[in-house]
Amino acid sequence: MTYSFHINGHPVEIGSAAMTGLLEVLRDELGLRGAKPGCGEGRCGACTVLVDDVPVASCLYPVALAQSRHVRTVEGLAAPDGPLTPVQDALLEHGGVQCGACIPGVVMTLTALLERTLRPTPDQICDALVGNLCRCTGYHKIVEAAVAVGRGEER
Amino acid sequence: MSPRQLPPVIGASVRRSDGQDKVRGAAVYGMDHVEPGMLHARLLRSPLPAGRIVRLDTSRAATMPGVRAVVTAADAPHLSGWVVKDQRLMAADEVRYVGEPVAAVAADTVEQAAAAVAAIDLEIDPLPAILTFDDALASDARPIHPARDTYTGAGPGGGNVAWESGLERGAVEDAFAAADLVVTDEFSTPRQHQSPIEPHVAVGRFEQGRYVVHSPAQYPFLVRDRVAEFLGVRSSAVRVIVSTIGGGFGGKLDAMLEPFACLLARRTGRPVRVANTRAEELATASPRENAVVRLRTAVRADGTLLAQEGEVIGDNGAYSGETVFCASIPPVLLGATYRIPNVRYRSRVVYTNTTPTAAFRGVNAPYCVFAQEMHLDHIARELGVDRRELRLRNVLRAGEEMVNGQPLPDAALVDAFDAVEKVAPWAELTAARRPYRGVGIAAVTWLSNPGPGGATVKVNEDGTVTVVSGGAEIGTGAMATSVRQIVAAELGVPVEDVLLAQTDTDSASFDGGAQGSRTVFGVGNAAADAAGQVREQLLKAAADILEAAPDDLELAEGHVAVRGAPHKRVPIATVASTALWSTGPIAATGRHIAPPLPFDSACMSGAVFTHFVAATYHVHLAEVEVDPDTGAVRVLRYVVAQDVGRAINPQMIEGQIEGGVLQGLGYALLEDLRVDGGRVVDDDLESYRLPTALDAPPLEISLLENPCSYGPFGGKGVAEPPIIPVAAALGAAVADAIGRPVHELPLTPFAVLAALRGEQDGVGKELA
Repeated sequence: MTYSFHINGHPVEIGSAAMTGLLEVLRDELGLRGAKPGCGEGRCGACTVLVDDVPVASCLYPVALAQSRHVRTVEGLAAPDGPLTPVQDALLEHGGVQCGACIPGVVMTLTALLERTLRPTPDQICDALVGNLCRCTGYHKIVEAAVAVGRGEER
Repeated sequence: MSPRQLPPVIGASVRRSDGQDKVRGAAVYGMDHVEPGMLHARLLRSPLPAGRIVRLDTSRAATMPGVRAVVTAADAPHLSGWVVKDQRLMAADEVRYVGEPVAAVAADTVEQAAAAVAAIDLEIDPLPAILTFDDALASDARPIHPARDTYTGAGPGGGNVAWESGLERGAVEDAFAAADLVVTDEFSTPRQHQSPIEPHVAVGRFEQGRYVVHSPAQYPFLVRDRVAEFLGVRSSAVRVIVSTIGGGFGGKLDAMLEPFACLLARRTGRPVRVANTRAEELATASPRENAVVRLRTAVRADGTLLAQEGEVIGDNGAYSGETVFCASIPPVLLGATYRIPNVRYRSRVVYTNTTPTAAFRGVNAPYCVFAQEMHLDHIARELGVDRRELRLRNVLRAGEEMVNGQPLPDAALVDAFDAVEKVAPWAELTAARRPYRGVGIAAVTWLSNPGPGGATVKVNEDGTVTVVSGGAEIGTGAMATSVRQIVAAELGVPVEDVLLAQTDTDSASFDGGAQGSRTVFGVGNAAADAAGQVREQLLKAAADILEAAPDDLELAEGHVAVRGAPHKRVPIATVASTALWSTGPIAATGRHIAPPLPFDSACMSGAVFTHFVAATYHVHLAEVEVDPDTGAVRVLRYVVAQDVGRAINPQMIEGQIEGGVLQGLGYALLEDLRVDGGRVVDDDLESYRLPTALDAPPLEISLLENPCSYGPFGGKGVAEPPIIPVAAALGAAVADAIGRPVHELPLTPFAVLAALRGEQDGVGKELA
């Protein structure tokens, strides 16, 4: 089957079996290796991308479901040679990045949250992050970063 | 360092040099590394915990579609080991744990490799599996390694004891005879899995007669040596190039998949990628060992500790990794925090037919400290003494000796208790008793890993500085911030101008690896040494340009300037490019070796770790609330006071404390890598429960600066220890909340509920 959808604003046509995971398509066919295959079982959230602005675990998300939808990945947030988005910048400013393997997923989850909730509380942020495991940071600085973005302390 | 004012970059929370790539998704981790023409490998793993291989036929698999090579033990027959050389790359005639590699296949696709693995004909004649300490230590136990004593590196011990270490000091019997009270406890703790977001992965190739492997390796020089040993070549025939590392926590110190990638690359003439699935990662990748700790202590009525006997048994699994290396830590650690004049400690690491265990942040300290602190609470309860007061009466003070006779001139344990007290006054917390609420307090003295290392610093012709080292950036920021800050401070250049070369065993001097918080301490010292030499070279070269004596020059703001005449200055770029033709390129290699420290070696046996280098001092306090209906533990408040030597990058240190505390919370409350019948039960992240954002407790952190005379700008190891006292502090708080003792981890809702309902007389202790 061939599936047509948008990746980071650009139309793509993918010839794949319907149940092929979107993560595999992104990484192996489209060369977008930002989303990480942390567990392959929909638990760690390192593969989180946005489908029509909603975070999904792309490792379990069948490519067929992306038909006619808009998929956003971490590569689509800031231009490669452009400035970081407020979420990306805040994560660095607040020390929320260590090994960083979870961060592409965290960035997408927080981006989606801040698009629908202008000033999220720490509790709302933790609720949103519950599907993004981070083994390094203890989450505090990630939450602080998101609070700061909501307060407009980042560009 | 103290008389000189610290350069402002020391103590600045500068951003990480790898941060932009990481937040953009552009960083290339081990799991992202691909090469043209790359093949994919899968391993055939033993389905049984113990047995003899009676048939291994790969002929059908070798002819399957896409298959390029199949290898077995015959292709890599050499014995290897980090310490004890008791393992082959693949099982030769006997399997010793579920998941042990037996064969490996390289094919065009992962699916083809998996299909070929399934087509290998493997027949095993089962042996009775030895899965518990009691079975392994029984006098008639089958030795899991009958050839144990012949292995290179075999340590003290025998039978199924892979390593035995001890420490004895003072007159133990006399002290027990004179005691007012003797208290005895036994504690048992589970396996904990490192579970980095990035599972183990390696891409190998064979070029110019050498193996080249890309790996997210924490200790690239160890990986190099182990690959060479497994494959029977000299170590210089292996080159390890370190990718961005997606978390390690000790699990990526030793070689695991790298030798397979190398062997198959040579056999096929193509690059080969090997990657663990999450299930393989949890089932086969070297967790923290399960353990039993038995303590018996003699005390005086006033709470003075008189003597202690201790026995620690840790599970080695079927083969030896770092666990045997660490066997000698408990005997020192148990007497490193409190004054115990008479002791007899024995530590054994025991072979079982289970997945080999290895280092996880803090190695055996989290369970030793859990045991010691719960035991101290038991003593306090028996004596009717306040728990904090009991600790303060016995805690080591500056200048006193640890149990190994090592003086601690900079001991800051009392300062750490005071710092916690300032934030969370103990009397208030314990006076305002509320049902199902409890507090716990725990202390520990810990070390900075003493491993040696070198680093090269070179000044580029544009005035920037490159650090070439074997230091691996595992995420702590040790390389990406602190080592750069140290070099920037030494050379007076902006930290943004200090660049890191990719870590590569071909170009870097030996380095002892990203373990035991040693990167800022070890690589930092080596880089500072190199920068000091570079500084002299720069001053010498600039002296000619500025027509001044080198002694009259100083480095600041990217310039060499005449002291007292700041307008007379020349950019470092000019000095470096001019120097090419006058003194030669500006570069130097520095070295780090931990200084010798006094201790009493006569009291120890079987000891690899004999003393604590650049010791650090820690006190943690926890307040919890237990839900009496569900048994769930909620951490209301968590307080940390940590001696950090010098806070070179305070934000990064806080990040280590926050992350370490949450890993410790996972160990205390959630994580339990269960083994049943030799099989790892929790082989997915559904049942192996890692802490989420909702589990992160409110944290209050005090960084105590207590400079180390031989650390860079006073720095000590800071990243490893915050995990160590967490299970102790939380365990004590839970025991306080439920009014019953705690002897086992993790404190899951089920365990707490069982204790609350009186099904047991505490957590982990059956009613008689």
